[in-house]
Amino acid sequence: MKLYYFSVAGVFLSLGLSATELPDRQAQLPSVAKDANAQYLTPSELSTIPKGEFGDKVRKGYQLFVNSQQMRDTYVGNELNCVNCHMNAGNKANASPLWGAYLAYPAYRKKNDKVNSYEERIQGCFTYSMNGKAPESGSESLVAISAYSYWLAMSGLMNQFGITGPVPEMTDGELLKGGNREDFPLPDAVTSKLDQKALTMLPGRGFPKLAKPELAYSVQRGETVYQAHCQACHGDDGQGLKMAEVSSLPPLWGPQSYNWGAGMHRVNTAANFIYENMPLGKSMQLTVQQAWDVAAFVNAHERPQDPRFKGHIAETQASFHQHDGFYGKPSPIDASVTLGVEAYPIFPASQ
Amino acid sequence: MSFSAMATIPDESPKELLQKVPAAAQVCLSCHGVNGEGLGVAGPRLAGLSSEYIATQVSHFQTGSRQNPTMMAMAMTVQGDNIKVVSDFFASKPVTAIKLQYRGDKVVIDDIGEKLAYQGDWQRDIPACTSCHGPSGIGAGQFPRLAGQEPTYFKNQLLAWQTGTRTGDADNMMGNIAKKLTAAEIDALTQYFSAQK
Repeated sequence: MKLYYFSVAGVFLSLGLSATELPDRQAQLPSVAKDANAQYLTPSELSTIPKGEFGDKVRKGYQLFVNSQQMRDTYVGNELNCVNCHMNAGNKANASPLWGAYLAYPAYRKKNDKVNSYEERIQGCFTYSMNGKAPESGSESLVAISAYSYWLAMSGLMNQFGITGPVPEMTDGELLKGGNREDFPLPDAVTSKLDQKALTMLPGRGFPKLAKPELAYSVQRGETVYQAHCQACHGDDGQGLKMAEVSSLPPLWGPQSYNWGAGMHRVNTAANFIYENMPLGKSMQLTVQQAWDVAAFVNAHERPQDPRFKGHIAETQASFHQHDGFYGKPSPIDASVTLGVEAYPIFPASQ
Repeated sequence: MSFSAMATIPDESPKELLQKVPAAAQVCLSCHGVNGEGLGVAGPRLAGLSSEYIATQVSHFQTGSRQNPTMMAMAMTVQGDNIKVVSDFFASKPVTAIKLQYRGDKVVIDDIGEKLAYQGDWQRDIPACTSCHGPSGIGAGQFPRLAGQEPTYFKNQLLAWQTGTRTGDADNMMGNIAKKLTAAEIDALTQYFSAQK
């Protein structure tokens, strides 16, 4: 019976997604172990963004990125800001920098047998991480975030290869595609040193892959780690801290955090992120085991529903959750509760 | 509701105000002011800080996590339930509303204090101050308000975090950041935040 059940799930996958179905645009982040000698791109200072229309788009992208709450109720449905996970305004290596992502799209995705543009990847962030509503294709905010990402990537490459002058401007349509395409204009000084494939896998892209823990991760041990090292900022209830109506310190679970479709709900992704980037400013280093344990603890709480949910937790779990996460599974905190059943609303109106 | 009328006619005379101060807080007034407004170099502003923050700091002076001869002696005079009484009293004091600056409001920032406040310096793993202390550094919970704080006190705190005479936060987060700041940056931060009032 069980075998039959999983073969049905396999059919779901092989059929691909119908036009009305939400595509999975938060597949597992590619992660590789950190290389101690890696040279990371160093994008230019914000003060060098050029004057004029193109520069205005880049600046707008930066502003949306660090204060995403200005899109609350239009595209954002929780209290997060992009910068909560992409440290230093999307500029920091090993914190999923925008320059790394920009050069990796468009990307072919086996899962839906489709080439995803950069714009579509950003739409995925709004649908899942921001528990919101994806801005329409070509909309001002997608152009702005793409322009900012492009500017970081191109200025970083130009700095690395000693190319002077302003970052070449591109049209909105080109900006939205991403940098992983044959017709993407790259200076010869770059293409002579790096091929397209290398550019999609720049050091510092995504979050660095953390070694497996010695012991299987434990939500119970994770709670102790949380109380000792996370609670001071994220609160004893994981709801962060609001100041002047803005969650300066982000909620990690519950109705105001990322939903069950977001990449961060995976225990491995969260462990990678936490080990590398937390606590903010790196005043101390968690052990590998602590990072896994606390990632499990954070992600063993209820959060907003997976936007691909069609009324059956088990089906959503079978189709989209064959990975390291707690969706559709008994809560390790209270086994009588199946996570996802009491999920919070998708894209709720703010309170 | 007329705000101009409220501003010109005081609700209470200074004498009436004093009568409303809880006995346990009387000892604080000569340096921190009747409204916790702070009295220049004599004592920092307490209005605008949360009750939980004030209470934690009182206990830090008592246990020596914060080293300051005057405050260590003064804090010992406030014990037990009175810690909350005093903390609630000063936390309830109003501060003038300021125009808040959120991250991203400015893209290009020249002032080095303001730049650290909103963008940090990630080459040195220094996060933006406002990522924990809130827009314009208004603070909440265990994160003190920085906006409008008395400058001498503000600067001395960063120096105390640097030298380790102030501790007591989780994982030495603030000490770790303060140790990376240069003297010029401490001056610039002091100037920037104390002017936000």
